[in-house]
Amino acid sequence: MAATPTPLEVRNIKKRFGDTEVLKGLSLQAQKGDVITLIGASGSGKSTFLRCMNLLEQPDEGELIVHGEPIRFKTTKHGREPEDWKQVVRMRAKLSMVFQSFNLWAHMTLLENIIEAPIHVLKKPKKEALEHAHALLERVGLSARANAYPAQMSGGQQQRGAIARALAMDPEVMLFDEPTSALDPELVGDVLKVMRDLANEGRTMVVVTHEMSFARDVSSQVIYLHQGLVEEAGPPEDVLGNPQSPRLQQFLAPKY
Amino acid sequence: MLDLQGYGPRLIEGAGVTVQLAVLSLILAIILGLLTASAKMSRNWLLRRIATVYTTLIRGVPDLVLMMLLFFGGQIGVNAISDMLYYNYEIDIYINFNAFAAGVLTIGFIFGAYMGETFRGAFMAVDNGQIEAGKAYGMSDSLVFRRIRFPQMMRHALPGLSNNWMVLLKTTALVSVIGLTDMVRVAAEASRATHEPFTFLLPVAVVYLLIASVSEWIFARLQKHYDIGFGGQ
Repeated sequence: MAATPTPLEVRNIKKRFGDTEVLKGLSLQAQKGDVITLIGASGSGKSTFLRCMNLLEQPDEGELIVHGEPIRFKTTKHGREPEDWKQVVRMRAKLSMVFQSFNLWAHMTLLENIIEAPIHVLKKPKKEALEHAHALLERVGLSARANAYPAQMSGGQQQRGAIARALAMDPEVMLFDEPTSALDPELVGDVLKVMRDLANEGRTMVVVTHEMSFARDVSSQVIYLHQGLVEEAGPPEDVLGNPQSPRLQQFLAPKY
Repeated sequence: MLDLQGYGPRLIEGAGVTVQLAVLSLILAIILGLLTASAKMSRNWLLRRIATVYTTLIRGVPDLVLMMLLFFGGQIGVNAISDMLYYNYEIDIYINFNAFAAGVLTIGFIFGAYMGETFRGAFMAVDNGQIEAGKAYGMSDSLVFRRIRFPQMMRHALPGLSNNWMVLLKTTALVSVIGLTDMVRVAAEASRATHEPFTFLLPVAVVYLLIASVSEWIFARLQKHYDIGFGGQ
């Protein structure tokens, strides 16, 4: 029996903005059920790295393999670009992203947000999409807000709604870009709880976060980035429990 | 009682021409405006250049001059082609059709440039995170445009669009110079013939006001529709 393909693999990603090289060769492999957290100071490149994984940023070098399928690139006068945008679109549908600023579509109700991509991208029948959406809303505790617009919801509700939107795609891998950084402290807990549940049920996740307790409790692997390079990586017990590099020790030390 | 001295039916017909001309020109202007805005935001140097030349040219030359240039120039071109293709068509049908088409093309072309600027500003006002979310969920560029970019852009575009439409509506009065019998031309003819200008020009003014009022109502409805979800609920 053939082994199931690795959901997401990136190799030697490099990215520069102008004269600044922000990613200097980063690799990562997410097996099914892995929860990989990316930590590091701001400017370390962790968000850019994550955004390279679904090509919201175009890496200048490196490979990207989604569910065993390598993304093909070509070089144009604008730089390196995917050869076939249809392939990118197909690949992105397998990787749902949860954004720092939620980015729920403002002109749609929460329910409409959740069924939008399943209907128009995955071509699911509307009835089926709606049933799934209601189940997901129930799961993130937002059944009562199905017909609310994002502007009428708190940040925490919006982010839980955005997670429901991501789940509606039945993604291979979920990408979280600092999902709690824009939230008021008292709203962080609800969002983290939903994320912990997802991790515990075996979702494959790549999470950029500053929440060290989350990283410690649910990660299968923690990657500490510094200036576009991996400084330390491994299971959370090692990386967070027994950091080797002075920089990581400094990073993890209580700030006040 | 208002006595239109038998010009009533022709005035109504003229009003019909005005409305058709304005609406068709608006549709063309919107299409050209969207294309111009996309070209201006494109990373293709040539497209940006063409769009800039287009808007600069249109905004810098009086409407009337453009209209005559396009009409007489276009007429020569269209006639040459039509002569070849439709040599057995009745001659007067053929000329009327051209005046109307030329009117729509000219006005649409002029206002496409203004719409282009309106749409460009409106597209730039859409939060990039909204677009990124669409891309990240596997939407193609055209799907992102149809489902996210366009509906979110419209609320920013509508005030300018409505303004352009009002000016466009009044610009249709210029088509009489290229021989099209719109409401204004009928009224002018009737005024000259009867020496009673107010009898004809006042109803014409009222009809323009009426069209403008109905438009405002429609635009208010549209604004309400596209504002859904953006605060103020």
